Amino acid sequence: MNLLAKKMLRELLHLKGQMLAVAAVVACGISVFVSMSSVKYSLEASREQYYSTYRFSDVFLQVKRAPEFYREVVSRIPGVASVNSRIVADVTLDVPGLDEPATGRLISIPEYRTVPVLNDLYIERGRYIEPGNPEEVIASKPFLEANGLSPGDRISAVINGRKKQLVIVGMGLSPEYIYEVQPGSFFPDKRRFGVFWMSRRALESALDMSGAFNDLTLTLAHGASEKDIIMRLDTIFRRYGSLGAYGRSEQLSDRFIVDEIKQVGIQITFLPAVFLAVAVFLLNMVLRRIVATQRDQIAVLKAMGFSNEEVGFHYLGFAMVPTAVGAFVGTLLGVWLGRELMNIYADFYNFAELVYLFRFEDVILAVLLSLAAALIGALGAVRGAVQLPPAEAMRPDSPVIFKHGVFDRPSLRKKVSVPVRIILRNLERRPWKAALSALMISLAVAILIAGRYTYDAVDRMVQVEFNAKHREDVTVVFKDPMPPSVAYTIASFSGILEHEYYREEPVRMRFGHRMRRQSVKGLQSSNGLQRLVDKENRQVELPTSGILLTSELAGILGVKQGDMLGIEFLQGRQQQREVRVAGTIDEILGLSAYMHISELDSLAGDAGVFNAAYLRIDKTKAGELYSDFKSIPGVGSIMMLQALKESFDELIAESMMTSTFILTSFACVLAFAVVYNGARISLSERARELVSLRVLGMTRAEISFILLGEQALLTLFSIPPGFFLGIGLSSLLAIGLSSELYRLPLVFSPYNFLFAFVVVVLVSAVSAAVVRRRLVGLDLVEVLKTRE
Amino acid sequence: MESDSESISHGPPVLKISGLSKTYLMGEVTVEALKHVSIDFFSGELVVLLGASGSGKSTLLNIIGGLDVPSEGKLFFHGREITAATEAELTAYRRRSIGFVFQFYNLISSLSALENVQLVTDIAEDPMQAEEALRLVGLGNRLHHFPAQLSGGEQQRVAIARAVAKRPELLLCDEPTGALDFQTGKLVLEVIEKVNRELGTTTLVITHNASIAGMADRVVRLGSGTVTEDRRNFVRMTPSELVW
Repeated sequence: MNLLAKKMLRELLHLKGQMLAVAAVVACGISVFVSMSSVKYSLEASREQYYSTYRFSDVFLQVKRAPEFYREVVSRIPGVASVNSRIVADVTLDVPGLDEPATGRLISIPEYRTVPVLNDLYIERGRYIEPGNPEEVIASKPFLEANGLSPGDRISAVINGRKKQLVIVGMGLSPEYIYEVQPGSFFPDKRRFGVFWMSRRALESALDMSGAFNDLTLTLAHGASEKDIIMRLDTIFRRYGSLGAYGRSEQLSDRFIVDEIKQVGIQITFLPAVFLAVAVFLLNMVLRRIVATQRDQIAVLKAMGFSNEEVGFHYLGFAMVPTAVGAFVGTLLGVWLGRELMNIYADFYNFAELVYLFRFEDVILAVLLSLAAALIGALGAVRGAVQLPPAEAMRPDSPVIFKHGVFDRPSLRKKVSVPVRIILRNLERRPWKAALSALMISLAVAILIAGRYTYDAVDRMVQVEFNAKHREDVTVVFKDPMPPSVAYTIASFSGILEHEYYREEPVRMRFGHRMRRQSVKGLQSSNGLQRLVDKENRQVELPTSGILLTSELAGILGVKQGDMLGIEFLQGRQQQREVRVAGTIDEILGLSAYMHISELDSLAGDAGVFNAAYLRIDKTKAGELYSDFKSIPGVGSIMMLQALKESFDELIAESMMTSTFILTSFACVLAFAVVYNGARISLSERARELVSLRVLGMTRAEISFILLGEQALLTLFSIPPGFFLGIGLSSLLAIGLSSELYRLPLVFSPYNFLFAFVVVVLVSAVSAAVVRRRLVGLDLVEVLKTRE
Repeated sequence: MESDSESISHGPPVLKISGLSKTYLMGEVTVEALKHVSIDFFSGELVVLLGASGSGKSTLLNIIGGLDVPSEGKLFFHGREITAATEAELTAYRRRSIGFVFQFYNLISSLSALENVQLVTDIAEDPMQAEEALRLVGLGNRLHHFPAQLSGGEQQRVAIARAVAKRPELLLCDEPTGALDFQTGKLVLEVIEKVNRELGTTTLVITHNASIAGMADRVVRLGSGTVTEDRRNFVRMTPSELVW
């Protein structure tokens, strides 16, 4: 081995504590980078693979009922590659072992699996349905697993008012339901919602749909315009109760995945950047110190005839080695972490095959990024080493120029003891170094805050969505608009404490050239069972006239309060109207438009119809009520608030815990690395001075105070700015993670700040204890003998 | 002033110094270390540069060794102007032609005695074996000791082995005995004398200790940045005969 390399390795070993700290910070950053980029790539690849193998559609359309020959018509539209017509219906299920009713989505499939179909099924267990057995169904995997069911089991469903026994013959998955949620909901409730595929013939006869379909999906030829085809479809199916055709971007399941991939992408840049920046800082600090202590060695090397490049590379190695170690460990950790994260994703997303892949390009990029960080960190110090004229390097550093500072005013001087004055002068003498060190600790605080922020945000989300906004226990959604008399039926059930109804109309909103498919909810009031609550948990009044839009939706449409918004109703009389925008509401979930039910009635026509009921029930009579609900014809789906909340808690809590845990550990590493390195470097710079003070009669406690007091002061000073940085970082995170599907509210519990404070103080205390042991263990005579 | 040495013919000088001055800043103080120094050194000479601290002798040595640049004046090595050399040429000059010995040895503490010498033999053009160099200084049995395991005298001998292993034309010793006791110092001087005698290396020894002057071919005295005396010893003493 080259002797300079040998020298370097031995000295690196000697500085192992500091070098390990640098390597750990690099490892954290790289592991986030590698894990997140591999997760992103795996999700993209799994999605791509799944979609192409199982022929996921490009355009979707729901109608009331259209004659089958329109399938042929659509297939002849230029740009349409293939068309699949289906019958889709939501029904109430009676699941063995489940008191409350569940919702099943029945989707028709061909009896014979001979030709390739769109949105094909991946059958994981069991088999495809057999022709001539109309009761056979294939059920979705998450539903079966959540309910402990398997092929061979039976389940009963109320289809078109008649109770039917279904036999589960297979367990399947479809690219349409990678994210499987009940219509109208945002979070999966695997126990109470499932997708079932059954024979087209059986569904036709059960729903009186023979020769007709109510759902159309199609794929587009290469280069075809999705927008044009959607317009053609809307024209054709207008009179068949079309809700408007839409592309993948509005398909809920795909939307969730795409957003998820985008969010992962944001995390790839954001955290590694912070960690690598800190690594740059640490390397700079450590290398400057190495160069300073080796001034004379640099001079000797040059005197021997080593060139500037050789000396420069030698010192660059001090940055490269720990960085390379960090990058290597970080890559391994990242691959492991990526795999674990994919396991969590497997709970949310139902892929036929969720593959874990990492690209070598990503790993190479990670390594290059970290080496670039090392280079940047080392550059200043190495340049200093190279530029130092050998003769000057051989002379001891000229004494640092201290001046009297602000703390030396005679009035203060008397009050401040000598050790405190030493601390203050040191901070004052190198304000930039002190400020940078403080900034790095602040970053650690900020990451801790941001890590727990998502926790608080989700907590707020639960509070708003499950407590403040909804007071109902059950939501019953009707398949078709119901006359007002349905209220009497429901009121007649025993155990109904409160009931409230709403009307929901699918519309197309227009403002200028912007257009959006959306539904308008007509509410009876905004302080009954359902309330309007914004993400700050403030109640918003339902306007008596005009429409109230989610801020996000108003933004998409480009409207503001007072604008007249064009509304085209897609069902019933298909009225075209204009309505004044009464205001906006900054909601957490989704995009919504609200108006008073009476105004909606007058705009849309068909006064007095309801699409759904919110019910508050007497829990003691729940069992009876559930069986009543299961028997009401015309009920499409039933949602239980408590069940949704539980499933949300279970699902989100796990992934939240994981990410908070990872961020917290990484922030601890960061805080420790910064504080420990800072203290070690101070110790190395000032060992002689401190030992001299010991020789002069100061106690160990007193010199420890001088050394560690400076670090403690820096840490304390960096915590409040860290809080602000954390708030800033969280805001960026909130913006980055927000989508049409949800917006994270910016909330911080006091506990978050307290947690960050305690963690940073603890980590600093540990690093102080480690450094103090070294300080106390210094050999007085040895230190005094060494030449500075 | 008229130099004694110029009356005796030695062929062309190895080193020719003319009008060399050096001023530098030390903290907030300006120090005038050398003032218009002109002097020649000839092949194979063992020269002792005497002077009190602050006389400018170290500065002169550093400029000769290419470690420092003068503020004014020229320095020629075999007729080539070193003061006009580029950084790369200076590096090559130090690598090929100069061997340095410092007062505080300046060994690399993380490398063993042998490795410290190999550091130089690895980059030199026609070096002797590192072991051979260490044997030359009487340390053939301490090859694998680290600096911290060697006495001051031993460390200085490693430094000498390191300096001579590349067979330099010029051996520059800056207070080589400054940090050593009398006995050890004499041992180190014997090694320097041996190198000069056996290898014929032109050797410049800086010291403030006038007693050492006895072992030199020539004695140059510096004071306040100028040459105040330049004389030739007609009889060279062996280091063992020196007393201080």
